[in-house]
This record gives sequence, structure tokens and C-alpha cells, in this order.
Amino acid sequence: MGNDDYMLIRSVLAGEKDAYGLLVARHSQSVFRVAFRITENEADADEVVQEAFLRGYRKLQDFDARSNFGTWIYRIAMNCALDVLNKQKSQTVVPIAQDYDSELPTVQLADRAAGPDRLLLSQEIETRRHAAMGKLTPTERVAFVMRHMEDHSTEEIAGALGIAPNSAKQAVFRAVQKLRQSLAPLWVRS
Amino acid sequence: MKHFTEEEMIAHYYSEGFSKAEAERHLQACPQCAQAYADLSKLLRSVPASDLPLRDSGYGAQVWQSIQRSLQPYEPKQKRRFYWPRFAYAAACLLFLAGAFRAGRMWEQAHSKPLVAGAEQQTKQRVVLFVLDSHLDRSERLLVQLNHAGGEADDVGFRLQAEAQQLLSDNQLYRQSAAQANDPLLNAALDHLERVLVEVANSGSELTSRDIASIQKEMNTPGLLFQIRVLRARVSEPKTNAHAIPKGANT
Repeated sequence: MGNDDYMLIRSVLAGEKDAYGLLVARHSQSVFRVAFRITENEADADEVVQEAFLRGYRKLQDFDARSNFGTWIYRIAMNCALDVLNKQKSQTVVPIAQDYDSELPTVQLADRAAGPDRLLLSQEIETRRHAAMGKLTPTERVAFVMRHMEDHSTEEIAGALGIAPNSAKQAVFRAVQKLRQSLAPLWVRS
Repeated sequence: MKHFTEEEMIAHYYSEGFSKAEAERHLQACPQCAQAYADLSKLLRSVPASDLPLRDSGYGAQVWQSIQRSLQPYEPKQKRRFYWPRFAYAAACLLFLAGAFRAGRMWEQAHSKPLVAGAEQQTKQRVVLFVLDSHLDRSERLLVQLNHAGGEADDVGFRLQAEAQQLLSDNQLYRQSAAQANDPLLNAALDHLERVLVEVANSGSELTSRDIASIQKEMNTPGLLFQIRVLRARVSEPKTNAHAIPKGANT
């Protein structure tokens, strides 16, 4: 796989632009996954995927042959997702409601609960989880997503974010603390 | 007993930080930490990854279609195109330098070779004239002694004979050179001198005053002496002119 990727990269650098299409086809699913985990928005995730592969193409000459293209484009996608989050932070702040209210201009999540008996609890958990994730800084969010959802090690997180391992560990710790503060009352009630 | 910090429990949940076995032993021994860890685990397990929207197998193709227009193909020969003019320029410079050097050498050879050859020839001529002058000088002194040796002691004949033997071999070389140089005056004088030297050198064990007188008469040594003096004057003149050439002059 790695060798195949490298052969494709060499073809791209030799002028065969379409070879990059094969790389996109191979890695777009994993790139979309991490993009959506971080942005939690399909449109943003699609945008991140496109931007990541565009950046990857332009930086392809700098690609180290010893590296894995999947890991490399994954990191680029994470940085693109971080950019999206930072951009959103700097733009109009949309309040995230503690409770669902159709009258308020809040972020509302689709109902993906399995059955009507869990509808209320699932909606509550999802709303609070989403609210808690919204309180995380981009670095904390990426670190938590990589640690909790993508099961990456502290060293991998640190490498992807370009920070020290201890800083990555602290970012995960702060993210868990914030989530705990937001979600703990739910468990007390339940 | 030291309880776990929240950070240590989070690290343990994600299997990082310290020994898992040691942490398990502590959690079994410490109900307070065990309860806190259970609450944390319950909370983190309740934070599921948001459901991923489905992306079918054609998703990669869709992404590619959306970005491919904004991608410019890499130019594989970009480096060559970049380096080729530089290489050509360097080669042209090198060729020009080589041509200039070659032309310079040719020009130098064309202009300086005759000068060098001329100088060498001039130097060689100076040496020949100097040696010939010396030979003629010795020959002149021998002829003077021969012309004035009548009635003197026998030892004079012996010294003339020894001197004539030494001069004879040199004179033969000079005569051959004069013949090759197509110098009839010098050739004739040296030829005459050679016959005199042969007579003196081969006159037997003792050169008597009678022998000397016979040589003077038959070989016309006074006439030969005059010829030698004329030749010396002619040989000395270019040598003097050569010495008069200013130092550092090319011609």
C-alpha cells in the first residue's frame, strides 16, 4: 500500500496529475472521518477534505518518501480542520442551547436515536456533548478527538499538532475535564 | 495511601502514563479512587463518537472531480529546463575560454617563435664567432711564431708542433662547418691553415729551423697570416655589434 502510494506520488511528480486521483480515492474516507470528527459538520468536513487534498498536492514535492502518505494527508486534514474551527471561532458566535428550543437560533443536532424510548435522553446527551465540544479550544478538541475517538497515542497527537507530548497530554486532560463538567449533571439526573 | 489524581485516572483510562497492573492494584485497594475512576469511565464511555455520515465508494472520485481543475500538473522536466540553459551557458563560457587560450597560444607561437629562434640563432652565432675567433687568434699567434722562428732554439719548434696538433682537430671541424655554411673565404683560409698545421704537426720528432723556413716559403704563411687577420676582423665585427645590442631588446 505504502509502496503503491509512493509510486503514485512519483507519477504525479512526473506530470501525471490523474495519478493523484487514485490517492484521493484511497484516502478520502479516512480524511473525511477525521474531518467530521473535528468539525462535526458534514459540509465543513467535505470542505476540509477538499482543502486537505489540495494542500497535499501542492506540498507533494516536500513529501518524505520514508513517510506514510495516509498519515501525512491525515495530519494535513487535521490542520485544515483546525483552520476551520479557528475561522468559526473568530466569526459570529452562535450560542449553543443547554436545552432544545426551536425558537432559538441555536445549533440543533439531527436525531439519530435508535428508538422513541431513548429519544429524550439521547437528544440530551448529544446536545450536551456537542455543547461541551464547542467549549473546547481547537487544540483540545483535536487532541480529544484523536485520543478518544481515533485512538491515537499522545506522541501521535503531539506530532500531528506540532506540540510537545506533555502539552498534548494536558490538552486531552483539559478536554476531559470540560466534558465532565458539562455531562456530569446528566448522569446525576439519570 | 496516596490517591490518584484526575490526570492519572484519565491517563489510566487511555492506558497511558504508568503501570496498568500497579494502577489496578491501587484501584482494588482504594474504594475512593475506584469510585472516582468508575464515574470517569462511565462519563467517557457516554461520549460516543458522533455518527459518521455515510460516504459511498464514489466519494473519492467526487472529491477528485471537485479539485482536479485547480491543480496544475507537475512539470517533470522543469529541473532540466532550468539547468539546461545554465549548463549550456557554462559550456559556452568554457568553450570560449578554451578557444581564447588556444588562440592566444597560437598567436604567441606565431609571433614569438621567430623571435626565440632568432635569439637562439643569434646566441648560437655569437658562440660560434667567439670560438672561431679564439681559434683564429691561436692560429695567428702560431703563424707569427712560425714566421719569426728562423734560427731560434729547437724548443720553439717543439712547442709549435704541439700547438699545431691541438689546433688541427679544431680546424678540421671549423673548415667543415664553413663548407656547409657556404662561406668560401673562411673555408679557403681554414683549408690553407689546415695544410700548414698538418705540415707543422707532422714534421717529425723535431721541427728544425730549416723545416720552418721551408714551410714559410712553400705554404706562404705570411699570406695566410694576413688572411687570418682579415677573417678575425670580420669575425670580431659582428661579435662587437652583438655585444652592442641593448639589453632587453627583442631584435
